[in-house]
Amino acid sequence: MTAGLRQFGAVLAKDARIEFRTRDIVYTMALFSILLVFVFAFAFLSDPSRTRDYGPGIVWVTLLFSATVGQNRLFDRERENGCLWSMLLAPVPAGVVFAAKATGHFLFTVAMAAVTVALIVVFFDLRVLDVGGFVGSLLLGTAGMSLVGTLFSAMLMNARMKEVLLPLVTFPVLVPVVIAGVKVTALSVGAPLQEDAGAWLRFLLGFDMIFGAVTVLLFGRMIRS
Amino acid sequence: MGRGWTRWIGAALAVAALVTMLAALYAIFFVAPLEMTMGIAQKIFYIHVGSAMNMLLAFGVCALAGATFLAVRAPRARAMADAIGVATAEVGVTLGAIVLVTGPLWARKAWGTWWTWEPRLTLSLMVFLLFLAYLALRAFAGSDRFGRGVAAGLSIMGIPAIYFIHFAVERWGGAHPQVVYKGGLTVPGMKLAFWLSVLAVSLVTAALAYQRAVIETQRQAIDALFLELDRREGLP
Repeated sequence: MTAGLRQFGAVLAKDARIEFRTRDIVYTMALFSILLVFVFAFAFLSDPSRTRDYGPGIVWVTLLFSATVGQNRLFDRERENGCLWSMLLAPVPAGVVFAAKATGHFLFTVAMAAVTVALIVVFFDLRVLDVGGFVGSLLLGTAGMSLVGTLFSAMLMNARMKEVLLPLVTFPVLVPVVIAGVKVTALSVGAPLQEDAGAWLRFLLGFDMIFGAVTVLLFGRMIRS
Repeated sequence: MGRGWTRWIGAALAVAALVTMLAALYAIFFVAPLEMTMGIAQKIFYIHVGSAMNMLLAFGVCALAGATFLAVRAPRARAMADAIGVATAEVGVTLGAIVLVTGPLWARKAWGTWWTWEPRLTLSLMVFLLFLAYLALRAFAGSDRFGRGVAAGLSIMGIPAIYFIHFAVERWGGAHPQVVYKGGLTVPGMKLAFWLSVLAVSLVTAALAYQRAVIETQRQAIDALFLELDRREGLP
């Protein structure tokens, strides 16, 4: 177990160090998401009093699209010189490698989301009444996106047209995350909904737990198939 | 399995499907009475429900085949699981298209709208899209072992995904008729037409999936022969 933790830390630290020096994943994700927010601003900003109706949707679409952009980059470094294969040849369980990569993507996306969501809140004048639910839904939703996206970006690493194939594959799986996320975010900015935010947060947690187990188990099988 | 057997099974399934489908169509239009409020549009329901049941069945088999593909090591079992996977996915997507076309046609008459974001509609659409992605993966990610492994993984993801989609959309509340399970099907003629249709669509599904799996097995055999030829003397 401790060996697993050490290996996990090593892979994560490697990714974090490369990212800290090049910053290409966070930069491209952040730039892309900021541009998306601008596009949404021009697409929707017709009635400032109704922002809480469409604000949550903008948050989640931006998050989903930007996370996908990051996922497309995530395994680019591992492809060069056959890095991923070397990592899998090392006596490290494939599940540990996967968990470290997914955690890395989660951290990069959270870093990006911190900037973007703040921008959305400012631009669209969202009044966040329930900060815990707002932040909690974003963290849990991002975790789900990272798990599903990392699995398939690893699998599609060498595929033709992977930029298009990745969202094609992940979006249908991630629809429940968007449904639940939009509900909690909408509730936390005071949208008049007859819903229970706690139940949707538990739903997101359950999604993360089940897909965490499924993706960790599947990764080794799929990559060696 | 000998080559003769596969041909006989395929032919038998096709004939059985054709006969029951004709019988079902006869029962739908000449035995089952006209529904009082919805009129002729109600007759869509016989094919619609049968297709929906078989769609879910096909996708379930596809997910099982994917799990087998990833779990088993023996090459022959893997090849067979792969063939079953692609066959059921393709037939399931076809059935899904039927469900998603016949549903709105009926809903326009019964609900006055083509589409609502109601639980079961959303569920069907999302499952349909998931397996469309499966087929896209198989088409573009290469038919090598790697691409097939990815597709198999996606089909397994379908099971928890379906569960979560089901759970998520359930909370929206729904207006979908629960005819069969809530005992709405009381008229004998309608009952006959309904179960005949379910049988007919099931047999069509089985016949198509079987033929597709056979074709896929033959394609695999040709691929293997090409590889063998290449190994021995270089491709011509």
